[in-house]
Amino acid sequence: MTLVVEDLHAGYGRVPVLHGVSVSVARGDIAALIGPNGAGKSTLLRAATGMVRVSRGAVRMDGRDLTNAPIETIARAGIAHVPEGRRLFPGLSVRDNLRLGGWRARNEDMGTVLELFPRLHERLDQVAGSMSGGEQQMCAIARALMGRPDFLLIDELSLGLAPVIVEEIMARLGQVAAEGTGILLVEQDAGHALEVAQRAYVLENGRITVTGKAAELAADPRVRAAYLGV
Amino acid sequence: MSTVDAPAPPRTTTVVPAVAPWWRRSAPWVLLAAGTLGGIALQTQLYTAQERVVGTVFMFVALATAWNLIGGFTGYPWFGQVGFFGLGAYVTALCMYHLHLSFWLSLVLSGLVAGLFAAFVGVPLLRLKGHYFAIATLGVAEGLREVVLNLPRATGGGGGLTIPTLGPDAPTRWLGNDGFYILFLLIAAAVVAVALAVSRSRAGYALRAVNQDEEAAAAMGINTTRTKTLAFTLAATLTGVVGSAQAFRIQAIYPDPSFDTSITELAVIMVMIGGAGTVLGPILGAIAVQYMSEWLRENYTNAHTFILGALIIVTVVLLPQGFVNYLGDAVKTRRFSLLDNVRRYRL
Repeated sequence: MTLVVEDLHAGYGRVPVLHGVSVSVARGDIAALIGPNGAGKSTLLRAATGMVRVSRGAVRMDGRDLTNAPIETIARAGIAHVPEGRRLFPGLSVRDNLRLGGWRARNEDMGTVLELFPRLHERLDQVAGSMSGGEQQMCAIARALMGRPDFLLIDELSLGLAPVIVEEIMARLGQVAAEGTGILLVEQDAGHALEVAQRAYVLENGRITVTGKAAELAADPRVRAAYLGV
Repeated sequence: MSTVDAPAPPRTTTVVPAVAPWWRRSAPWVLLAAGTLGGIALQTQLYTAQERVVGTVFMFVALATAWNLIGGFTGYPWFGQVGFFGLGAYVTALCMYHLHLSFWLSLVLSGLVAGLFAAFVGVPLLRLKGHYFAIATLGVAEGLREVVLNLPRATGGGGGLTIPTLGPDAPTRWLGNDGFYILFLLIAAAVVAVALAVSRSRAGYALRAVNQDEEAAAAMGINTTRTKTLAFTLAATLTGVVGSAQAFRIQAIYPDPSFDTSITELAVIMVMIGGAGTVLGPILGAIAVQYMSEWLRENYTNAHTFILGALIIVTVVLLPQGFVNYLGDAVKTRRFSLLDNVRRYRL
């Protein structure tokens, strides 16, 4: 019951970005992928969800090959991508954003995700683009969860958000994982991600350079120096 | 500043009903039925000449509403609508002139041909976006006119084609001014009904999602290519039906007026002024623009197009999102000032 990315090569046009990256997440677990700007973190997520062409390697979910499948096929298989910059439908209300999240699964029950992010409850009729960054991020995650995904890939959750909000969202992700969803967190700000994750990867220049338990990585002096700022 | 250790917010969340109460859901249908009945009642008060004018308003209600399906809901600026209007007109003329098919059968065939053609050209065209889509569809409409011009044996070329509407040769007798008034009223009502159904359906949500962010829509599991193509096909089918009815009304059809770009432009202006992506907007836009145009023609015969153009510019500057969307915004935010509105849309 895992999402496996194996020896992935991908890039934009003639510029290769990923040079054989392997990452895996099990259902119910949280994995963190950290690394500096330009390492290829977002490209990895985009390649895994069909938004960037994979030139070599494979994306598999529970043994099913999803390499280079259309975006919607991958979404229907149960992999939800919360992209960098959230990519909400900015002109639609929060309610409509959530409803569209449940489009594939024909899930109209917003109760569960609203319980997870009660703040969205008051915002249901507000236009999504007019909310604060933190609320938009919550809405993006809630929208992804409306599709009842087996795997949730989140890109730069903490970008531009107050630390308090990041902690609040991270705490909710723990709940989501405990209910059986596998989560891959891609982060530049490693601190929070390594706290909630079980496993972690460091991606540098398109290659995985360090792998291990999140706690071990958080203790690793190299990782601490490079990504935790201590 | 709040603290990190703040207690978790209370779990008092109740599930919000996603569905409006029945009277709110059925209100638009009741209004549509009332509007249609009102149109029939209005007929008793009109002279023949006025009947023709109002019939044309209905025609534009249908055209603008069809345009709105792909141009408004889906956000693809379709500048080739008249191509499908002309296609419908010529299919009907050819069917009635050469094959002696009845008008009603020709009407259905015109819709089908326009729809099939749209499905065929839609797949490559809808890979384009924005200006590119606009120009490519404009090209398709111009291309169709050229095809008609260059097939004189079938279409009469530039000399046009006259549909037999009287005597033993006529497959269907001309419907008369009263008949065409009712026909266009019913077509407009049917097209609005389709738009209403689409607007509230799952497919309608998919179209809005594609409009907002196509990649994000695909990430919701929406097959965007299929969704766009269906909307385009539907819009073209309805446009073809309108073209068919118009051909039968005017009987003698020629390539230039049948593929006149200003028909597309008018439909676009009506949708923009009324409010793109709403069901009511194109209806109000069509009525307002046509009424204004006729009124100016009567009262300022020499300057009417100039004044109409100026009015359109002023309206689009003041209401960039269209009247119905402006009203929605204004009621929600309680700010009715037009200047505020212009500022909000950064014009």
